Amino acid sequence: MFNFFHNSNIFIWIEKLINFINSIFFVLLLVALSFALIFSPPDYLQGESVRIMYVHVPAAWIGLASFTAIAFLSIINFIFKIKNLTLIAKSIAPIGLLFTCIAIVTGSIWGQPTWGTFWAWDARITSMVILAIFYLLFIFTHKYLSEESKANNVSSLIAIVGLINIPIVKYSVEWWATLHQPASIKISGTSSIHSSMLMPLLLMFFVFILYCALIFLMKYKTEIIRIKKKNLKRI
Amino acid sequence: MINNLILMDGYGIFVWSSFVITFSVCGIFYYKTRKTLKKYEKEFAKEIENLSAEQKKIVLENSKIASKILSAYNKTI
Repeated sequence: MFNFFHNSNIFIWIEKLINFINSIFFVLLLVALSFALIFSPPDYLQGESVRIMYVHVPAAWIGLASFTAIAFLSIINFIFKIKNLTLIAKSIAPIGLLFTCIAIVTGSIWGQPTWGTFWAWDARITSMVILAIFYLLFIFTHKYLSEESKANNVSSLIAIVGLINIPIVKYSVEWWATLHQPASIKISGTSSIHSSMLMPLLLMFFVFILYCALIFLMKYKTEIIRIKKKNLKRI
Repeated sequence: MINNLILMDGYGIFVWSSFVITFSVCGIFYYKTRKTLKKYEKEFAKEIENLSAEQKKIVLENSKIASKILSAYNKTI
């Protein structure tokens, strides 16, 4: 069982997974785009501009989920010092930053037709910008701190402190009076979104998840090779 | 129909720019990640090739990853 988690076995599985995702990705992307841009209906209030939701919402979910994952991995790593967890967290961080930035930019574009402005220092938007700053701090720590153990400790601390911001992002629309609308999709409770819009949204989310998995696997593979390269120099 | 799809009742500029920005950035990020991976694979394979025959044998016997990368690299050249 533990043999399965050995780097060489993981490496072989990574290659297989990358090939599999590459083979199905573009078909799924085309289907998701067709639903998002053509087949889904316009909103009765926002009209056609609601289609921005199909990229904005999944991007925001991934941005939040990635940082939560990094924070939990950092907590475990802080206690047990498992090197693989650092590699996983390091590989997730750029993906999280990318999608957080996409959520901010597409949200800003959506703001113009909906609120009449591209930007407002609203609680939700500000807390998302803070999330992007935490991602940057985490990535720069690994990039610019040469001593690996120090970089791991500092980045873990950043991730744990940044975790406080996650519920602030999530509940900002309920705690403060904001321009941003409250959540339409609830895990517990009834969602206020119609299935004709929910289906394309979930489909696009699935495509984004596949993309994240692809990038994550490539980044993780790069990290494994980087370590192997370092070990080779010791011979 | 095509006109409706492009203009989207006047919201086309917002909707299309959101989608174009998202997928262009994702495309660039994918390309850069893949390029970095390939660069590392190539450098690693070259370093193995530069080892002495004895060292190379030890590395390839002990590391499945090294032998896999080297065989993939040899296929491409």
